[in-house]
Amino acid sequence: MNTIKGKVTRFGVALLFTSSLALVGCTSHPDEAELKQLDDLKAEVASLQKEISDKEQQKSAVDKELADINAKLKKCADDQAVVKQRLANK
Amino acid sequence: MNARVLIMLAALLVFSIGLVMAQEEMTKEQWQQEIQKYTTQRDGLSSQLKQLESDINAIKAQSTKAAEDYTKCQDELYALVGADAAKAAEYRAQIEAAENKANELMRLSDADLVARTSEVEGLEATVKNLWGNKLSLIPEFWDRLTALNEKVKSLRGTLDAQVKTYTVGTWSRDRDCLWNISKKPTIYDNAWLWPKIWQGNRDQIKNPDVIHTGQKLVIPKGNELTSDEKSAARKYYARKAAAVAPKVEPAAK
Repeated sequence: MNTIKGKVTRFGVALLFTSSLALVGCTSHPDEAELKQLDDLKAEVASLQKEISDKEQQKSAVDKELADINAKLKKCADDQAVVKQRLANK
Repeated sequence: MNARVLIMLAALLVFSIGLVMAQEEMTKEQWQQEIQKYTTQRDGLSSQLKQLESDINAIKAQSTKAAEDYTKCQDELYALVGADAAKAAEYRAQIEAAENKANELMRLSDADLVARTSEVEGLEATVKNLWGNKLSLIPEFWDRLTALNEKVKSLRGTLDAQVKTYTVGTWSRDRDCLWNISKKPTIYDNAWLWPKIWQGNRDQIKNPDVIHTGQKLVIPKGNELTSDEKSAARKYYARKAAAVAPKVEPAAK
């Protein structure tokens, strides 16, 4: 009886060790170069996101500048009309 | 404790550690998914960035063109009234100087304003001249001059409300001297306020003992002397005392 129990125990222990080894050793993992490639890609994405944020701010600024100049241009055209009218009324 | 049980526990521990390691470490498949995800994201962002750069360049080009158009429009505007940008800048500076003068005068008390009547008159003349320039037809200047006109009108209104005049009569008939004029009930009803008349008419009274028939004197408003008027009176009395002359009231000749 003891002999059978011992065999079962040894079998169980061996099975657990084997399973552990299989779990850790048989799963395929990326190597260091591949992990670096992923990190570089993440860094590139973060950098692009920052650059886009900066460009969006720049775009807002130039948009406002254009709107201001267009408003001045419109006022100038209106002023010309007013001056012509005043000159005609003189 | 039984050795077998210990061995079993050790084996379980190794199994658990292996399980945890297998779960924590990225698998190749997960790596590929991540690479795919970030590559797609990077490509999208790159494309978005290019589009933004292109948009910014296009807007800048539009701004440059609009700025050129604006300069041209301004030149045409000045040309309509026979001027150019330099003349307009000079005219703008003149208006600004007049505005500053008007603001300075508007801060004065009524009595001080009366003492600076000639400056108000000068400002009125300046504003009239500015209106005479064709550049005044440009709305920028027109609007500023209109506002300036209102200020000058307000100054004039204050002066008119403050100032009444008195025409000097003859000594033989009216006994007009500054002392007597000041004493009249229709003027100050107080002879000691005569320096007020003197200081309000410095442009035509150099010596308060000498006023002339027919002179139109400004009678400044107020029932007491200002510090300047008191100072002028003190100096006058000091001079008289120094001259050791018999006390003579300021008289019309």
